[in-house]
Amino acid sequence: MTTETYTLTVGKLTRELPLVRPTPTTRLPLVEFLGDTQLAQAAAKEIQGLIPAGTDMLFTCETSSIPLVHSLAEIMNLPYEVARKRRRPYMQDPIIQDVQSMTLGVGETLWLDKRHGENLRGKNVTIVLDVVASGGTVLSLEKIVVRAGGKPFGRVAAFSPGKPKLEIKVMQELPVFDAKSKG
Amino acid sequence: MKTHSVEIGALKRELPVITVAPGVAVALLNLLGDTELTEEAAQVLAAKMPKGIEVLVTPEVKAVTLAHVISRILGIPYIVARKTVKPYMHQPVTREVLSITTGKPQLLVIDGFDIPKIKDKKVAVIDDVVSTGGTLRSLSSLITDIGGHVTATLAVFTEGDPREDVIALGHLPLYLE
Repeated sequence: MTTETYTLTVGKLTRELPLVRPTPTTRLPLVEFLGDTQLAQAAAKEIQGLIPAGTDMLFTCETSSIPLVHSLAEIMNLPYEVARKRRRPYMQDPIIQDVQSMTLGVGETLWLDKRHGENLRGKNVTIVLDVVASGGTVLSLEKIVVRAGGKPFGRVAAFSPGKPKLEIKVMQELPVFDAKSKG
Repeated sequence: MKTHSVEIGALKRELPVITVAPGVAVALLNLLGDTELTEEAAQVLAAKMPKGIEVLVTPEVKAVTLAHVISRILGIPYIVARKTVKPYMHQPVTREVLSITTGKPQLLVIDGFDIPKIKDKKVAVIDDVVSTGGTLRSLSSLITDIGGHVTATLAVFTEGDPREDVIALGHLPLYLE
């Protein structure tokens, strides 16, 4: 396997990220907040300034964004909710929303239990994700916010591979490499 | 709605009692989105962490924030066992598990990249609720197979039958009809 990496800098932290190949022709750095407490905290500190003033609540989906959003919620003292990617047996009357993903080519579905949806009602809700590529997940999360009676108020991501394809505040763009140029 | 009162450290919560299968209801603990409760549970559990633990392992999804905060407090790294094999994983190891809150078999996956962080290390497993212990058994066997030593299991609550092998802050009843 390749030892090529990309050096990421967030605040005072650096990480050597492995390059992965999401499509046959491109390679991207793989950034992972799960298991990296320091990186999640450093990124949360950096993106708090991107959260629009007046935000009542943060909203994300499982799993890789959770440590980032939790850290952000801690430092901003804001509540957050997490949309799930599978139905759980304890969900009652959940909001079910399909994701139109342009990159995956496979359908994904987001679930938010009614009890949690009620927390979004009447709130200014800002979507926060670790990485945004096509933006399909952002749009689906916003649909859930609207269906729950909340107001989509802002869009923030820690990273996007290249320029984001929808309007969103991004902390840092990650480079997209041509897979043919190396290895 | 029927609820069950719990105390976690200095905090109180009313947990909704939810039917998850015919004749089976559980008091539902939710840490995701509740930073205050997660912080409190993590502080109290961190104080109970046995000496010498080198790495925490937690199953995806509901205990991720708990492990994250315990990791932050104690400065011990944590690793998330995922529920699906990701395309970017390197030689992942997997184990099947039957979970009470999902009702069907699911997978636990540890990325090959994470194996050196577990091998020959003293491991504490972190979960939100340990019920039948199915997840715990599968995760422990997975950790043992890759050379880790499961030294402790910490959870906010045990559920159903009381268990001595889990360091927990309380016990939840299982509602059987």
